Amino acid sequence: MSILELSNVSVSYGPVVAVHDVSLSVPKGKILAIIGANGAGKSSTLKAIIGLIKPRSGEIRFEGERIDGLSAPDIVARGIALSPEGRRVFPRMSVMENLTLGGYLQRDKGVVSRTLELIFHHFPRLKERRSQAAGSLSGGEQQMLAIGRALMAQPRLLLLDEPSLGLAPIMVQEVARVIVDINKSEGISVALVEQNAKLALKLSHEAVVLESGEVALGGTGEELLTSEYVQKAYLGV
Amino acid sequence: MTGTLIAQSLVNGVVLGMTYVLVALGFTLIFGIMRMVNFAHGEFYMLGAFVTFFAFAQFQIPFIVSLAIAAIIIGCFGMLIERVIFRPFRGNELNGMIAALGLAIIIQNAALIMWGADPKPMPSVATGILKLGPLIFPWSRLYVIGAAAVIIALFYVVITHTSLGRAMRAVAQDTEIALVQGIRAERIYPFAFGLSVALAALAGGLMGPVFGVSPTVGLAPMLKAFIVVIIGGLGSIPGALLGGLLLGIVESFASTFLGATVSDFLLLALVMLVLIFRPWGLMGVREA
Repeated sequence: MSILELSNVSVSYGPVVAVHDVSLSVPKGKILAIIGANGAGKSSTLKAIIGLIKPRSGEIRFEGERIDGLSAPDIVARGIALSPEGRRVFPRMSVMENLTLGGYLQRDKGVVSRTLELIFHHFPRLKERRSQAAGSLSGGEQQMLAIGRALMAQPRLLLLDEPSLGLAPIMVQEVARVIVDINKSEGISVALVEQNAKLALKLSHEAVVLESGEVALGGTGEELLTSEYVQKAYLGV
Repeated sequence: MTGTLIAQSLVNGVVLGMTYVLVALGFTLIFGIMRMVNFAHGEFYMLGAFVTFFAFAQFQIPFIVSLAIAAIIIGCFGMLIERVIFRPFRGNELNGMIAALGLAIIIQNAALIMWGADPKPMPSVATGILKLGPLIFPWSRLYVIGAAAVIIALFYVVITHTSLGRAMRAVAQDTEIALVQGIRAERIYPFAFGLSVALAALAGGLMGPVFGVSPTVGLAPMLKAFIVVIIGGLGSIPGALLGGLLLGIVESFASTFLGATVSDFLLLALVMLVLIFRPWGLMGVREA
């Protein structure tokens, strides 16, 4: 049973093809890792899913219904949220305001405050800093905020774009712990895009390798971790 | 004698400054959110002055209510203009600017045809003076300061404490990421534009009794709003506040003590200094 399915999706920026004929699926309640080098089309795939770029061809189905062609706000309303590459918190707003914006579509105040409690439970640091400007947080804290903001939308599918990028090793472990925790305790399905292949494969249930915009390999996280090809090309073994 | 002159200049400067703040706030808001330089902004000031004039002087509606009517009518008109004229130019800054310039010419000449070129005197809203020891302040000026302060405070609350205000700031800071929060930017733009020109209309209405009303009254405030946002930082709301008050006070003191020519010269010198040493403005965000 998969929550999200991409069939033969292609994305291009003008004449430049970023994603070519990609098919993959995120199993419901599980973590799918999408690994690959810089420019392999990982971020473009996520952008196509969330509706920031329209795929040139192919189908994207979320919970069985087609979502390609919908606008980003409509897709968010259906239950997908994105923690973007480079975190992109609103720098001149407080932590609290960033989180509030994450729950922009949620009109029920009770639900908003319950979700907020949950996020503060996972990220106690954010609670301490809630009135601080987001731009003044450390990289790790900004990453926590970006994930927290995405969770405020109460997604059933969470897209994480390079959550470990540029973080100190100890923060990488912290972020990894939280991703697993959110998936397990909240049952949120996750699509995790990472350059840090080792980390991503360890966390994930299933994984695909993207190369030059195409799926080169797929399998369980375990299988890919032990695959000779992945070890050579991505794990530096 | 000098004390009175200084106090007088200060009050006049704050009156001017408050007007500049009101005009510049809307101007900078639109740039921040839509990346659009609205050259027609001054014409909404002029329209606001006319609506207030008709409501107050002809229909004898109380001044505050007349102002509110002007803000609502011009605000709605602005929303319409945004949808019909500016939407097709989204993402195309240059053509958007040219469209705004064209719109300014159309509105100004339409006003000229409808209402004629002669300035219409608006009756005073408040009369008498406030005496504080040797200092004398006309109530008509204090009234403008008070009303503008209330409007600015309301605007501040809308921007910082409402869902719409937060959404506007989110779109201004990062449009793509705002979309991913579920904010429909296309629905935010008309509100932002309406709010922006309603502020200009309020400024026009407030200054009506001070300067009179004619189809060309929007030109000078528009130019000053430009200077204000360059000094304060394009797209910065605190910058518009600081820049507006600074400009008004400098202008008032310079023209009282040094003459109007020197005053204009000083203002433009100030702009050049800012552009040389802090091109992103006093409160603006430095672009990478």
